[in-house]
Amino acid sequence: MLLHLNPSSGVPVYLQLQAQVKQAVAAGALRTGEALPSTRKLAAELRINPNTVARAYQDLERDGVTRSVPGGGTFVGDGLPGLLKSEKVKRLRPHARQLAVEGRQLRLTREETLRLLEEELDKLGDQA
Amino acid sequence: MSEVAIFIEGLSKSYGAHAAVSELRLKIQPGAVYGFLGRNGAGKTTTMRMLLGLVRPTEGSARVLGLDPTKEPELVQILERVGFVPQRKQLYGWATPAELVRMNKAYFPRWSDGAAAELAKRLEIPMNMAFKKLSIGNQSKVALLLALAQGAEVLVLDEPTAGLDPVMVDEILRTLIEDHISQGRTIFVSSHHLGEVEQICDWVGILEEGRLLLESRLEEIRQDFRLVIASGESLPVAKSTDLVSATTDGRFRRYVVAREAERFAAELRGQGATILEISPLGLRELFLHLVRKEDPCTPGNAGAKAVPVSSFS
Repeated sequence: MLLHLNPSSGVPVYLQLQAQVKQAVAAGALRTGEALPSTRKLAAELRINPNTVARAYQDLERDGVTRSVPGGGTFVGDGLPGLLKSEKVKRLRPHARQLAVEGRQLRLTREETLRLLEEELDKLGDQA
Repeated sequence: MSEVAIFIEGLSKSYGAHAAVSELRLKIQPGAVYGFLGRNGAGKTTTMRMLLGLVRPTEGSARVLGLDPTKEPELVQILERVGFVPQRKQLYGWATPAELVRMNKAYFPRWSDGAAAELAKRLEIPMNMAFKKLSIGNQSKVALLLALAQGAEVLVLDEPTAGLDPVMVDEILRTLIEDHISQGRTIFVSSHHLGEVEQICDWVGILEEGRLLLESRLEEIRQDFRLVIASGESLPVAKSTDLVSATTDGRFRRYVVAREAERFAAELRGQGATILEISPLGLRELFLHLVRKEDPCTPGNAGAKAVPVSSFS
């Protein structure tokens, strides 16, 4: 499995897990319908409390990244997060703000910052 | 096993004028992996030794699986049902691990030869070398093997990874997690390695100078605890029961709040402060904020109020 942890990063473990799964899904490394390891298996592999894995999985499901089958495991969802547009925008806004602030601090122009974002979107390919 | 695994109330231990543990209150649910954090000398070992009847409390009470360690017949049951890995392993030095296994086996009705053999193999323990000749890492593994094979309901581990190299630490953590997953044992583990605790535990208690500063589910710390950084001239000394600690650094003030960070921030804004950041904080940061008592803005020990609200409801 591609998931790994950096215990000294200061980022809570469950957030690290969530971010990695989201990234893997966005980059196409994990495909729709693919199974994630079971809570117990991943917990033992990463030496973390099973509750932490369960929590990360719950949040991923809430965010529409994965779906779970009762008693049957957790799978990558079909890429249609069931969130309202307004909620999605609300979630993304802090990241946008961060990008804007850092861009400004580094004295990048508006165009340069926007181009960076576009380049990253291009890397993810067409999914619209 | 629905009873509380470990329950401590008003527990104190003094050595002369020195209070090693004072008025400790603690509650560990069955099946929890409870990380007992504190600096060196905070009272972690003394607390654990009181649970095992090795130290007599000056005041207060402790119950392990509902049993009182200060009463002889109940203590015998505790020793049978609780696996203890002390920091200083006082096992017979001349005996080999294989001999220690044979000696221990006789005392524990629920002893599992299968578990002992599997652990010996997986942890790569040299079973036929005298205990005193083993490395510290191997000695720790032997102590852990004995505790796990004993068929205990509760494991009390006093800094099980102290002095071990990273590979051994990783092996011990894996063993504990796998055991927890398959057996559902309650694990009470002391440490000052915050990363390890954050990894394997679901509850934490933070001890400082014999007192519990905080007891919480890790989940709650993740979800509700926030670091609020504010700036402004003559910032108000905020008084809130949700406030865990506050430190000042020039024009900036860092607040750790136990819940409702947004509301807390709004109050600060109302008093003219600029909020720079509201962010979740890791165990390491929380620990440092709690035990460094620079500029505490609540009377007494900062964070003490967080204890009853978050844990005894």
